Amino acid sequence: MITDNIVFLNIIFLLLCGGVPYFILLEKSDKFSAKAIFIVSGFLLLSAVILSFYTDREYMTSFVVISFFTALYAIYRATQTTNFYKLGYYFIFINAPFFILFEEHGAFYSLSLLVSLLGIYAIASFYEKHYGSANYLYVRGITLATPLVGIHITVYLITIGLYPPLPNSLFFITHIFNSEANALWFVIVITLYAGNFLVSMRVLEKSIFGKINPNIHYVDLNFKEKITHFAIIVSLVLLSIYGIKEILTWA
Amino acid sequence: MEKLTLLIPGIPILIAFLLFFINKKELIPKISIVLSSMIAILGLYGTYYVMSNDTQIIGFNGLLVYNELSAILVPYVAILGLVIRKYATKYMWDEAGYKRFFILLNFIFASIYLLVMSNNLIVLALAWQLMSVGLYLLVSFNVGSKTAVKNARWTMYIHKGADFVFLLAVILTYQTFGSFDLLVLKEKWLVMSQSPVTDPMVLTVGLLYLLAAMMKSAIVPFHIWLPYTSEAPTPVSGLMHAGVVNVGGILLNKMAYLLILTPMVLNIAFVVGLFTAIFASMLMLVVSDIKRSLGYSTVGQMGYMIMEIGLGAFSLAIYHLIVHGIFKASLFLESGSIIKYARKDPNIPERLSHKTFLEENTKFKSSKTFKLIALFTIVPVVAFVGIKILLTPEFFEFNAAIVILAFAWLTGTQLFLSFFKVSKFDSIKAIFGIVTSFVLVLFTYEFIGLSLEHFLYGHDSLLFYKAATLNVTLVSALVVLSLVMIVGWLFIYKQHFITLPATKEKANKSKWSFYKLLVKEGYYFEIFNSSKKGKL
Repeated sequence: MITDNIVFLNIIFLLLCGGVPYFILLEKSDKFSAKAIFIVSGFLLLSAVILSFYTDREYMTSFVVISFFTALYAIYRATQTTNFYKLGYYFIFINAPFFILFEEHGAFYSLSLLVSLLGIYAIASFYEKHYGSANYLYVRGITLATPLVGIHITVYLITIGLYPPLPNSLFFITHIFNSEANALWFVIVITLYAGNFLVSMRVLEKSIFGKINPNIHYVDLNFKEKITHFAIIVSLVLLSIYGIKEILTWA
Repeated sequence: MEKLTLLIPGIPILIAFLLFFINKKELIPKISIVLSSMIAILGLYGTYYVMSNDTQIIGFNGLLVYNELSAILVPYVAILGLVIRKYATKYMWDEAGYKRFFILLNFIFASIYLLVMSNNLIVLALAWQLMSVGLYLLVSFNVGSKTAVKNARWTMYIHKGADFVFLLAVILTYQTFGSFDLLVLKEKWLVMSQSPVTDPMVLTVGLLYLLAAMMKSAIVPFHIWLPYTSEAPTPVSGLMHAGVVNVGGILLNKMAYLLILTPMVLNIAFVVGLFTAIFASMLMLVVSDIKRSLGYSTVGQMGYMIMEIGLGAFSLAIYHLIVHGIFKASLFLESGSIIKYARKDPNIPERLSHKTFLEENTKFKSSKTFKLIALFTIVPVVAFVGIKILLTPEFFEFNAAIVILAFAWLTGTQLFLSFFKVSKFDSIKAIFGIVTSFVLVLFTYEFIGLSLEHFLYGHDSLLFYKAATLNVTLVSALVVLSLVMIVGWLFIYKQHFITLPATKEKANKSKWSFYKLLVKEGYYFEIFNSSKKGKL
């Protein structure tokens, strides 16, 4: 029995987790930069995650379908951008159907997604500070020039690209094993699995690979930045440990 | 004490973690080699324990197992790993990213050990995926090269497909059989095999596992990633061709008892394996790039491996993958060294085999050689049948025997002809020597193969042959075998002993089209490029 309360709650969650493409409006506004949209959408998703721990909810198929179309559009937009900030919030919209479909189980996945996106945000800030913008296309050869930055980008993107033993993949696998499959389930799971992978691999290839450009003055992470990334990596490791525990309990 | 063996998958991760904090370049290979020697020692101890006590080592709440399959494969992978690490120590010294290479190498070895030792489908799925990402980063190691990165992308796409199919198979396995534990599942599958299985879901699950194995083992049409990844550093190529590509065979061996329930899957495996073996071997002969040629050679061997599984010869596939792995790894590592020496020396490096055989090309008399060839095409099949009757008479109860016989004949004849062409043996002594060594080698091969079969599967191995058997009478199978032998013999005779007059006439159109198909590697890239341009 679907009550008004459930519908209302679903609408709230749909908006908070990026189930509707509000970024289209924000991108048109002069007041919101890509960085600001990233922060807003990240904050809203965090609110959704926190809220989901205190509320019982039940997904509604129509809302899952709406978020699915948003995800498809976000995948398309993500393949068009070369900006880390934009990429960051597109990932939030790409993963919205998972949050809605898997209810409270999707919250942990979204939490680890947020942590990896925090890493992307830190990388974007680093690029903006040292190379003038968060655009990664023209700063090639990172792996050879500044291996540490390369390792961090690789870890964050592989996490988002759903590879174990990183937490996103572990939560993803736990939840897909833990749920009843139907046609919609298959469509969502396949789209997210392929979408996250294709977008993150594309960015990985275009950002960290390539020859060193002699016209660029490459800068490595300073102590403060190293600490920030270390904290993010530790969080991912902790989430991984929790994810492994979850998955093995289930196994 | 024996439980320590189960720590093997964790050791390479520990090595990778340690290497991350080491800045002295000389220490990187030393730590890597010393600690990975521990894996080899632990592996050998585990194998000794399993063999002497006739038991399995199970731990981590049944998630990991050191069973008969691990007892064979873990020491093999560990020794291969040691050789590759030792080789890479000097070979990779001048390359950028020395530390990164060793870290990634250890990650991929961890995933291989985990895959081999897993007793749980979820652990297996994690190892399966971990291997994909490790391989991607190793294949794209030469990050400055556009082609290396492009080929790594292809590799990644196919492996991600394999990951997805595998995950799907695991979900359906759980829904159908209610467990992730491979030992529990094995018992269930054995019980189910006593009566015919009609559930279509069982067939679907079997097909999905086969599909995942085909993708990772570079079986046609998923083969393209392997021949094009030779731009990776030579130790990586060695690892790929000797280790990573074999995981399909390992997976199907783990699922052997499931495949008893799905004879159709075994038959499909046989057909795709056979097609891959023939198609890839032909491509190997026509491609102009030596490294791609080696790649296609491996694809062909993987075809053989899958074909053997399709025949129910699961243990033979393991034997094949080990023997092929050792051979191919040595070939790749040797080729890397030769290229390196050739860069320093302006002369082509001297090859012993070249000097011994090709420079002393012999001319033979056709009437005498005709008789010899006739003898040499009969000897292999007589020797093979004799040895099989001596060792395993029950082998001939299944018509898989006929196919294996046909391949034994082809291999034996080819071997004899190679000896014949390159040696001066007009003497009875030389002929006797070659025939005796062939029988000896065949006997040893068969004996080891049989011992492996008994060790891995015991009497259950007959169940696999039975499941793979088609409803074909022995007489019709023998007729087919005879036809293969006669056609093969005529072909060999025509190729070697009839000198065709040189004419200016062009070869016919169908021959040209076939040759073009092979040279263009099955038009794989043309089709892909057309689809990219929107033509398809």
